[in-house]
Amino acid sequence: MKQHPLCTDTEHGPTILDLPIQHGLKMEWAAMQTRRHFLGKTGKVLGWAAMTSLLGGKALRGDAYATDISVSAAVPLKLPHFAPKAKRAIYLFMSGGPPQIDLLDYKPNLLQLYDQDIPDSVRGSQQVTGMTAGQSRFPIAPSHWAFKQYGKTGTWVSDLLPYTARMVDDLTIIKSTNTDAINHEPAIMLLNTGNMNSGKPCLGSWLSYGLGSMNDNLPTFMVMLSKTNPKENNQPVSSRLWSSGFLSSEYSGVGLRSAGDPVLYLSDPSGVDRDVRRKMLDAVDEINRQTYEELGDPETNSRISQYEMAYRMQASVPELTDMTSEPQSTWDLYGPEAREPGTFAHNCLMARRMAERGVRFTQVYKRGWDVHGNVTGVLPGLCQETDRACYALVTDLKQRGLLDDTLVVWAGEFGRTVYSQGGLSKENYGRDHHPRCFTTWMAGGGVRPGITFGETDEYSYNIVKDPVPVRDLNATILHCLGIDHNKLTYKSQGLEQKLTGTTPASVVTGLLA
Amino acid sequence: MGFSNVASKSRIRNAARILSLLVSAGLLLLPSIFKLDGKTHADWQQFLGRFHPLIVHLPISLILLVPLFEFAGRFRTSLREAAVVMLSLSLLGCMSAVALGYLLAYGGGETGAGITRHMWSGIALTLGVLLCLLLRPFWASGKLPGVYPGLLGCVFLLMARAAHQGGSLTHGDDYLTQYLPAPLKRLTQIRPAQPVLSVPDSFYTEHIHPVLDANCVACHGETKVKGGLRLDTYALLMKGGSDGPVVIPGQPEKSVLLERVMLPLDHKKFMPSEGKPPLKPEEITWIKAWVLQGASPTVASLVGVTINEKFRETGLPQVGDYSGRMAEIVRVEKSAGVTLVPISKHLGDGLILNTVNASTTFSDAQLAQFESFAPYIVEVELGRTRVTDACFRTLAKFTQLRAIHLEGTLVTGEDLAQLSQLSHLTYFNLSGTKVTAKAIAPLSSMKNLRHLYLYNTPAQPALAAPETLPVARSSL
Repeated sequence: MKQHPLCTDTEHGPTILDLPIQHGLKMEWAAMQTRRHFLGKTGKVLGWAAMTSLLGGKALRGDAYATDISVSAAVPLKLPHFAPKAKRAIYLFMSGGPPQIDLLDYKPNLLQLYDQDIPDSVRGSQQVTGMTAGQSRFPIAPSHWAFKQYGKTGTWVSDLLPYTARMVDDLTIIKSTNTDAINHEPAIMLLNTGNMNSGKPCLGSWLSYGLGSMNDNLPTFMVMLSKTNPKENNQPVSSRLWSSGFLSSEYSGVGLRSAGDPVLYLSDPSGVDRDVRRKMLDAVDEINRQTYEELGDPETNSRISQYEMAYRMQASVPELTDMTSEPQSTWDLYGPEAREPGTFAHNCLMARRMAERGVRFTQVYKRGWDVHGNVTGVLPGLCQETDRACYALVTDLKQRGLLDDTLVVWAGEFGRTVYSQGGLSKENYGRDHHPRCFTTWMAGGGVRPGITFGETDEYSYNIVKDPVPVRDLNATILHCLGIDHNKLTYKSQGLEQKLTGTTPASVVTGLLA
Repeated sequence: MGFSNVASKSRIRNAARILSLLVSAGLLLLPSIFKLDGKTHADWQQFLGRFHPLIVHLPISLILLVPLFEFAGRFRTSLREAAVVMLSLSLLGCMSAVALGYLLAYGGGETGAGITRHMWSGIALTLGVLLCLLLRPFWASGKLPGVYPGLLGCVFLLMARAAHQGGSLTHGDDYLTQYLPAPLKRLTQIRPAQPVLSVPDSFYTEHIHPVLDANCVACHGETKVKGGLRLDTYALLMKGGSDGPVVIPGQPEKSVLLERVMLPLDHKKFMPSEGKPPLKPEEITWIKAWVLQGASPTVASLVGVTINEKFRETGLPQVGDYSGRMAEIVRVEKSAGVTLVPISKHLGDGLILNTVNASTTFSDAQLAQFESFAPYIVEVELGRTRVTDACFRTLAKFTQLRAIHLEGTLVTGEDLAQLSQLSHLTYFNLSGTKVTAKAIAPLSSMKNLRHLYLYNTPAQPALAAPETLPVARSSL
């Protein structure tokens, strides 16, 4: 009878090398065999295997880890693939799905179509969400706000975004972004990780893995959540969105809290000085190293480097978050809200400070864009919270000479429908999720300023020109950072995985500078 | 019918000979009766004409078989008779192919040197086959032993020539040689055709001509001229075709060239025709903008058009190979606590001196340690370090520098003039330093320095704060 591989004598039966696990892990196992034999400790396979199952498969993941943290991951990976335009990126994530029709996708003809049903030919056989599927009508809701032309490019911008309007000549506006998912969680996962299911590394993790750190004292990838406004419809965001998936967990995003200590327990407790903390860490490291020798789990190494990073962050984060040195002109630019930690404006200012200090990728989440109803009541507030801060960030980066090599991305997970969800009146309406087209913008290193890319039909429902699916958007972002999206891969579950997934993706050359 | 009757058999044979002579004479006269005028004619002509590429292969294979059968006939005489049948059928095939080919060119309005050459080769081949047929009996009876085989050889060469010309017309001139190995290419001295162009760096030369060359010139070029239109030079493009000009400067909507390439794919008049790939949207945009802005042969750039050079070489100046000095680099990195980061995996792109990990200790002395690597360093990030004005003396030796970051340092800009020799420098950040307008004056002579940042310096005080803008509540 054939024995189970884990129950047999390793000298004769199948070994760890026969298990259906990652190649890198096997190599590591093979490398450790000599030491094991020297120590006379054979037969540990069972314990190792048990450990992997205890860890819920975690040990089966990464093989890219560095024992010496000063060795940049970029060296063995041979990245960037070509000279990049941008060294770092700041991603302003508008969670919930901003209504493109009320912000940047100007549709003047809709005013005449007020309360008419959207033609079946436009909607086609599309399945709508459960929230509007029961509606008997799909009445067109033109935007409640007027649009005007701004800048040398004469770009139409809604009155809701007076600050964004001032920087249109610096923006690369994409009206033809589209996604495959119609609900928040899959859509937000798709935009972040290139896959609707969780478990894949996000953009920031791929960048950390591929490009490595520029500053040893700060995480390569940082995430900031903005305070929520209870009047808004806040969809949950979770750490899955900045997870490193099957990559080593040291490439996960490090979150800064929106209130209180930016990083919990970062300051030493009273009575513990820095020397004591160092001694303690040295001891923990030693134990961890022994564990690694015993079990060979790469995640142990990740943990060691994370403890070391935390130690260094004890010095670097207070410096990063100390805004006292910011001159008055900063507060004049970002607005008074920026003084309050956790606001979107504060986070934008923080993002600029991180860019200055060499943080590779910063993601700022602003929730509340899920305007299913009461658009006229909620949307002005959302714009007030974000419009000035976005302008301030781009302007600030520009005046400090940082916009040349920093890519700023503004995007939500999908757009919103032209037809009203719920009742439509002259004063108010709602908008449901709309994956077929939505507007995003980019600015800075690598993208062409002052253009509007792609076009939607007169209902802002279907794309009529130059569609940019999420995978192409991500391929373009990677391109700006010097990465060929087809070459930054990591083998997991038998597939050379990549951010842009298995459907062929392409860099949108029309967006590039 | 009395085919057994020898007299009637020879009568038929004679009739066939006379008929074929007449037809051949007709073919010879064809080009002078119906001149190839570059205009399209009746549709039926093109319909029939397009069978030319099909029919033309029949005589080719038949002619190839003739010498084979003649040779085999030495051993089996019945095969020798078959050779005569082959030759007769070849003649028939040649005549049909020539007729159909002529219909194709005449009906489709094709002219040009290549077309003419191919036509005459075809006619000559037909005549050659006819001669073979007429002279063969003398060879068979032993009267003229060498003439028929010699003639057959000539027919072979003629056929190869005509076939190659036909292939070049269909697939393009460089079809055969495009993937010729480079050494062979040098040997045969085949070079890509370099048409004489008006101005080397003009928008036309750089962007319009390549598009036309890749998509249109196969049918509207020197070798093949459809509709009397040639697009291989600027002058000919502006001259237009048999129906008049195709480009009207300033009026893209009236320019036939643009009209044709923008038709629906399945439209009869869509160009490029015959299922060739359509022009890319951006190519059409370039042509449109170029026509709108005067269709000039000399203008170098167009308003509102930025051409993406994405997949081309980056065009960055390249530095030397430093791979042999990695040990030295690691040593000096360790000693200064900073890193030399490759711009990309291509060594030639150079290194960035990144000091962010040692900004509190990095000063002029540390910078001087990197002097020996100056030929490889294209960017120095010295923001918020302890360097002073003394760093300019060192930096002046970093001749490959494209970017210098000195933001938030103690420099005041004294001796900044030393940097004016850095001819590659495009980016210089002095934000948050004490530089004055007077100190930076020498930088104005640096032609490539396009991004000079002086935010929050005496040279450029902070911008006035933007006034607070109200968010519109309603427009209705």
